[in-house]
Amino acid sequence: MPIPHPNRRQFCGALAAAVPGWARAAETLRVLAWPGYADADFVRSFEQKHGSRVEVTLIDSDLDLWTKITANSAQDFDVFAVNTAELQRYIRKGLVVGIAADSIPNLARQRPRFRDLAAIPGIVRNGTVYAIPYTYSEMGLIYDRQRMASAPDSIEALWDERYHGEVIAYNGGTHNFSLAALSLGLKSPFRLDDKDWPRAVDRLIALRRNVTGFYTRPDESVGLFKRRKAALMFANYGKQQLQMCKAAGLDVGYALPREGALAWLDCWVVTRGARNPKLAAAWINHLLEDAPSQALVTRQGLGSTTSAESAGEAGEKLRWLQPVESEEHRNQLWGRILSGDRASKVLAS
Amino acid sequence: MKLGIARKLALLLTLVGALASGLTGLYAYQSSRQLLIESAQDKLLTSTQVLARRIALSRQEITRNLGVLARHPASKSVLQSGDAAQAGQLSTLFCLLMAENPSYFQIRLISASDHGLERVRVDRQGDALLEVKDDELQEKGHYPYVAETLKLQAGEFYLSEIAVNHERGTYAGLDEPALQLATPVTDAGGTAIGVIVVNIDLNGMFSLLAADLPASFRLFLANDKGDILIHPDARRTFGFDKGRRVLIEEEFPPTRDVVEGRVAHVVFDAGEPSGSDVPVVAAFISQLVEIPSHEQRLILGLAQPRAEVVAQAHQLGIAILQIVLGLCLGCLLLAALLARAFTRPINILESAAQGFASRHPSAALPVERQDEIGALARSFQKMQDQITKQLEDLQNNQQELEHMAQHDMLTGLPNRRLFVSRLDKAMAHARRYGGEASVLFIDLDDFKNVNDRCGHDTGDIVLKAIAQRLLTMMREGDTIARIGGDEFVALLGASTSHDQLVAVAEKLLAGIREPIDINGVELKVGASIGISRYPQDGQTVSELLATADNAMYTVKARGHGGFRFSSKVAD
Repeated sequence: MPIPHPNRRQFCGALAAAVPGWARAAETLRVLAWPGYADADFVRSFEQKHGSRVEVTLIDSDLDLWTKITANSAQDFDVFAVNTAELQRYIRKGLVVGIAADSIPNLARQRPRFRDLAAIPGIVRNGTVYAIPYTYSEMGLIYDRQRMASAPDSIEALWDERYHGEVIAYNGGTHNFSLAALSLGLKSPFRLDDKDWPRAVDRLIALRRNVTGFYTRPDESVGLFKRRKAALMFANYGKQQLQMCKAAGLDVGYALPREGALAWLDCWVVTRGARNPKLAAAWINHLLEDAPSQALVTRQGLGSTTSAESAGEAGEKLRWLQPVESEEHRNQLWGRILSGDRASKVLAS
Repeated sequence: MKLGIARKLALLLTLVGALASGLTGLYAYQSSRQLLIESAQDKLLTSTQVLARRIALSRQEITRNLGVLARHPASKSVLQSGDAAQAGQLSTLFCLLMAENPSYFQIRLISASDHGLERVRVDRQGDALLEVKDDELQEKGHYPYVAETLKLQAGEFYLSEIAVNHERGTYAGLDEPALQLATPVTDAGGTAIGVIVVNIDLNGMFSLLAADLPASFRLFLANDKGDILIHPDARRTFGFDKGRRVLIEEEFPPTRDVVEGRVAHVVFDAGEPSGSDVPVVAAFISQLVEIPSHEQRLILGLAQPRAEVVAQAHQLGIAILQIVLGLCLGCLLLAALLARAFTRPINILESAAQGFASRHPSAALPVERQDEIGALARSFQKMQDQITKQLEDLQNNQQELEHMAQHDMLTGLPNRRLFVSRLDKAMAHARRYGGEASVLFIDLDDFKNVNDRCGHDTGDIVLKAIAQRLLTMMREGDTIARIGGDEFVALLGASTSHDQLVAVAEKLLAGIREPIDINGVELKVGASIGISRYPQDGQTVSELLATADNAMYTVKARGHGGFRFSSKVAD
């Protein structure tokens, strides 16, 4: 008499019960994130919860992000974080897809200001929600309190010859041209006219000549600040860098310039190459949980969209990033400036 | 199949031999394999150390070259006065150096003034060397190799971290792994007025340094944080530059101790390194960077496919296997010989025992041997001899007993039992062949008186003497027996006529009456004889004896001896 054996469904059921999440184990969520956005512990808790693997790739500049996403028409990643201004060109190129708001229950945990997605420029287009606000910061100035008697009140400090060779700036074309425009008092830092370019280029060459170095990663900036004994630093990552500097034992202060501080709001978006948009949505939802949101504030010094507004925040003069006239043009020129070209070469077509 | 002791012994010996040689072989194979792996590790470690030494030498050579360039008068005069002719000379010198050193991507003289403007610059572009001039020269003051080198003293060197070079303008080196070495050019007062920078092609330099390593060796390099810089799979290098770090200790966990600075080197046998398909034997060392740099140490490693190391063990294994098989064969042969040597004497003993049982003469026993088998053979022979002797005694005793059972003790004549048996046979013979048989019942007269007068001993002597006489008087084939104290019977088997019977009876009577000399005293004994014949006097033994007995009593009743026939049947 043959020995009775379980049928296939029973067998698979037993196997699946024995190995939780076995059926989904092969699934990998490919995340492209900025430093501090996907800490290992939150990655692990997500992996445990969803039985999938998370592969985190870090980016350190908008150009880096753009290069990675466009390299293979957004097929290499499922979900990434981008600021609302940069987001526009991704939407334009169809590299990101809409997100069903009901797939992210933790949206309800966000402050009303961020919950009203339609009110935030650049997130909703033609009724489709493309991004979920995650974190934000303004780009202030970090200064050495020993070297500068008083907090710098203007971005002009970056060009101040007194600090020649003691200034650290960010290596990013889009933001740096906005910075130059602010310092030149142009109408909009995000819209440069043809006549503005030579002035802006000169301004950035002058900045280059005044700095001791450029950084892309926040940890890199702290190392540079310490090693070069810098006096002043443009903080592209805002208070995230301030927190890291303090943790590194530097006696630093933080100031917002009177011209207004550039500010970014980073959102999570889902690529058109996402293998499993539901898993991508689950990732976004996971990061809006209490612990990851708290960690943004406590560990990174960044603003969280779910926690209460910090004191004084509302009153500050912030210039939220807007889409610029041409990221490509800015990055091209910035590349030349960074390489050390002089104005004539930079502006040569 | 029934296994004889020889086969069993041979099998056992072979098994023991095979097991011993097999185990020895296995042990030899495993330990030599381990030795091979260990020796490969040692060799790898040495190679790695040699390579590290070469890197140090190579770096020294680069710094020497840099030093020469920095001290070259042309460098100073170009920086101080912008002398075009000197710049041309310097450029030629750069070209010559780069032609000699294929791993140099670029050599530059950069001024401290003018925001770090390049003064002389030679780039490698493909196979050609390109002198970069005028507008193409760039300001590099914000790069660490300028900013940090300018802070150094004359004769000191700057070493950049090893990274992918994204600096535009370094043509061949763009987006290639590179490192920069730089040294300040100082004026008479010791103030840095510029820097000499050389851009080194990391892969080019290492492939040159490792050129004479065996082709199967794989080279690994990691920085002090464990980030892989050189790996046979280029996709795994400079992970940090691509946003996803790839660490050497993740691929080879034993290197963690080196990365974390607990040990200076580590050798290991990596069964299945993640990401790499082939198991390897590897050695990793931590090399201190002697120039002040972002990187304190570099981690250098060499790996060799395990299969290649073990391939030698494979050959050795085959040799060992052959030896083991040879030994097994030898064992088999030896076992067969030994088994034969052991079992032959046992077989001789066995056949001796069988022959002994069946009373066949046995082969010569190996009694001359001085070993246990000799002792056993001797014991066996002794036992055989004893048993043979005892059997002979037994047979003798049996014959004696048989004789005693059928003969009279005193006279040695057949007794009644034997007589009856012979009479029976004679009657049977007569019945069958129509012959006759006659019985003469002889009773000594007055023998009681002899006993009473002369004693039983004398009586016995008389009986013996008479028995002897009767015996001598009988024909061959006839029987005389003693059946009672003084009663004898004679059986005459063949047909005997009446006269003949009469003659026999008279002869017997005369013989009995002959005087018997006993110690000088003559004794005379008479006898009465009753004769009965078959078939006329009786059909059975007892009838015949009874009729003879009756005839004898009739004679005895007459009182003076003689004989009488039971019946008067004429011939």
